[in-house]
Amino acid sequence: MENFRLNYELVKKFIIEFIKEEVHSNGFNRCVVGLSGGLDSVLVAYLSKEALGKENVKAIIMPYKTSNPASKEDALATATHLGILYETIDITKIADAYFKKEKEMTNIRMGNFLARTRMSILFDKSREFKALVMGTSNKSELILGYSTWYGDMAASLYPIGDLYKTQIFEFAQFMQIPEKIIAKKPSADLWPGQTDEKELGAKYIQIDSILTLYVDQRKTKDEIIAMGYSQKIVESLLNRIKKNQFKRTLPPVAKFSPRTFGLDFLYPHDLGK
Amino acid sequence: MKVKIALAQINPLLGDIEKNREKHLEFIGKAIENNAQIIVFPELSITGYRLKDFAMEVALPADSNFFNPILKQSKKIDIAFGFVERGSDSNVYNSAMYIENQSIKSVYRKIYLPTHGMFQELRFMGRGEKVTTFKTKYGNFSMLICRDLFHPSLLFLTYAQKTDVVLGMSNMPLRGVTGEKPAIQETVEKAIDTYTNFFSQFIVFVNRVGFEDGLGFYGGSFVGTPLGKKLAFAGILQEKLTFATIDLEEIYKKRQLFPLAREEDLNIVQNNLSRILEENYGKF
Repeated sequence: MENFRLNYELVKKFIIEFIKEEVHSNGFNRCVVGLSGGLDSVLVAYLSKEALGKENVKAIIMPYKTSNPASKEDALATATHLGILYETIDITKIADAYFKKEKEMTNIRMGNFLARTRMSILFDKSREFKALVMGTSNKSELILGYSTWYGDMAASLYPIGDLYKTQIFEFAQFMQIPEKIIAKKPSADLWPGQTDEKELGAKYIQIDSILTLYVDQRKTKDEIIAMGYSQKIVESLLNRIKKNQFKRTLPPVAKFSPRTFGLDFLYPHDLGK
Repeated sequence: MKVKIALAQINPLLGDIEKNREKHLEFIGKAIENNAQIIVFPELSITGYRLKDFAMEVALPADSNFFNPILKQSKKIDIAFGFVERGSDSNVYNSAMYIENQSIKSVYRKIYLPTHGMFQELRFMGRGEKVTTFKTKYGNFSMLICRDLFHPSLLFLTYAQKTDVVLGMSNMPLRGVTGEKPAIQETVEKAIDTYTNFFSQFIVFVNRVGFEDGLGFYGGSFVGTPLGKKLAFAGILQEKLTFATIDLEEIYKKRQLFPLAREEDLNIVQNNLSRILEENYGKF
């Protein structure tokens, strides 16, 4: 397994400066965070509070009837502990009104719909609160595309998007997030019993080791397998990376004019900031 | 001779040259109040870094009237800053300008424009070709820009032209967060330690701060001296104006203690380089 240890004091300082500058330079003072009670969103709430102050951070807690009740409790406990603003919006009625009309809802369809319903509320609340939407995606998720496109991926910035989940566990300890939250099995909680490790087929330490070998150290598939990692898992993860590349880019434009968005009309994101 | 230098570790706005000019004037004002004789800004301090297609839209000739308010202040202080230069050859360059007493002393075009990984400079800007030394009231100066500092050959060229002070104007993004300091900062400090030691020069390293499209420029500006001192450390990730008083006498002391310059033979360098170029058809 690879070593993931970072200088978390420096990482914290860097991310806090990033949040401050991105939020302020876009003309905002505030942010909203979709707080599920899972570790990633809790960590983003902690960092946002440090960067912007508790009065400028609003957590939106959006449980569905099948959501793990412990998650909601952890979300509430986090908001109370940090002293940030929060609002709970149960999405059961909204989602069920749609599900009722659909005959054959699968877990994936329902999960995606819930993630996009939450996104829709979060962006509406950001308008109401005059705030930016914080992303809670981590590097493992972003590389694998293990998230809902235009759902939980939709955000104004990704403060923890360059941290592997394994680093999130360590960073969370440094940030003194309660052990109870760190110890929970990572889950998108889109249907009962769902966990990341069950769906991805391996423990995060294995997943992240394979990812960092491939992405950061540019090892080939064969080199990684030769190091003793399971061929099946390596292949499945590398397939996910390729298959989900579309989630990490903007949709292609059919180019015929001299300058086309995304191809050769290349203004930076932060122009004027 | 002693010279007080101000290091302006600023966070320019991306593509907003008017606001950035205001910030320059503000920092110049503070440096004058503190009796500094020279103020040095980072690479592309007038324009910001990650301009991409916008480079063309903020490019200005070095003698543009836009710079007049800055030029005016140079009656009281020498000023070095970075901008996108619109060349008379209709190309654009990542350039730095040194002004003294209302006249342009030197314009330097960045030679090594990184174009790999997160860097895309050659895609949007042209490449400079000339390393020069210019005389100021305070000795011989050269300017180098960011990636140039990782090419010892360019530092050698300033040394060969008797440069006393190199202004290293940078936009280095932070990367490597496993150690006590960012890995990039370690690399820069080691490099500057080595150059100042062997070339017995001063290097004024001014790096910007702030974020652009996720890249976070780390700052960490300082002055390295021939005797191995580090002055005016600005710290990381914050805008700051720091001051270093350098004593040019240090160069004389160092060159007597460690007389490498006396041993140097440019003919040997040139003969070998000519042979190597011939053997390799001019390619590295």
